Amino acid sequence: MTQDTLIAGATGDDPQQGLRAVRALRELAERLETLQVRRARGLGWSWEQIAAELGVTKQAAHKKHGKV
Amino acid sequence: MFERFSKDARTAVQGAVVVAERERSGTIDTRHVLVTLAEGTGQVPAALRTAGLDPAQVAAQARESIRAGDALDGEALAAVGIDLDAVRERTDAVFGEGALDRAGRKDGRRRKHLPFTSDAKKSLELALREAVRLKDRGIESGHLLLGMIRADSPARRLLEQAGADVGELRSAVEQELRTA
Repeated sequence: MTQDTLIAGATGDDPQQGLRAVRALRELAERLETLQVRRARGLGWSWEQIAAELGVTKQAAHKKHGKV
Repeated sequence: MFERFSKDARTAVQGAVVVAERERSGTIDTRHVLVTLAEGTGQVPAALRTAGLDPAQVAAQARESIRAGDALDGEALAAVGIDLDAVRERTDAVFGEGALDRAGRKDGRRRKHLPFTSDAKKSLELALREAVRLKDRGIESGHLLLGMIRADSPARRLLEQAGADVGELRSAVEQELRTA
């Protein structure tokens, strides 16, 4: 499948292609979040600072990433 | 069990590891083994052709299936304008080589060996049983294919989707094993 047909699929009306793209985006965002939070903690950022940047509460950030 | 593997069967199992590394899979399942078997030479490509399948196409479909099953799906991301290779280049530079792939695993650690899924292990055991059933001394690449189509597996489903008749394919492999 060429890239052109994929783009047509994902922005078009095929739910399968669209959903597949959503899943991949979510996975990518999750992984980048894990890496960024871990690095920020390593650089001495507080959970409060991290949470503020992520737009979540301090508790939510800590609950999700506290074990890293 | 591996001491009974012939050279081509060992090569296939090692090849599956290489496919998994290349496709950045977290685990090795029967589809990875199918890719190396179909891309190789010998009993399996011959049997696939006898059963009316194109080995190169089977391998390509298996690779496609492996990629689509990966949650971090490069093709799907390309469709919305994200170049996963470019993202990976950046994360390798900032967080270390392979960081993006490790971030998706539950333990998050670098793994020395990719694990085989239970489905892949089962197919290897079934390959041994097929060899015993056929009164063959060693396990050859053909037995590996018989092992993965004997029970339901991702590889068998893939072959069925490619239009294979499992019974016909089994006879074709047995034929190849007899003439080997």
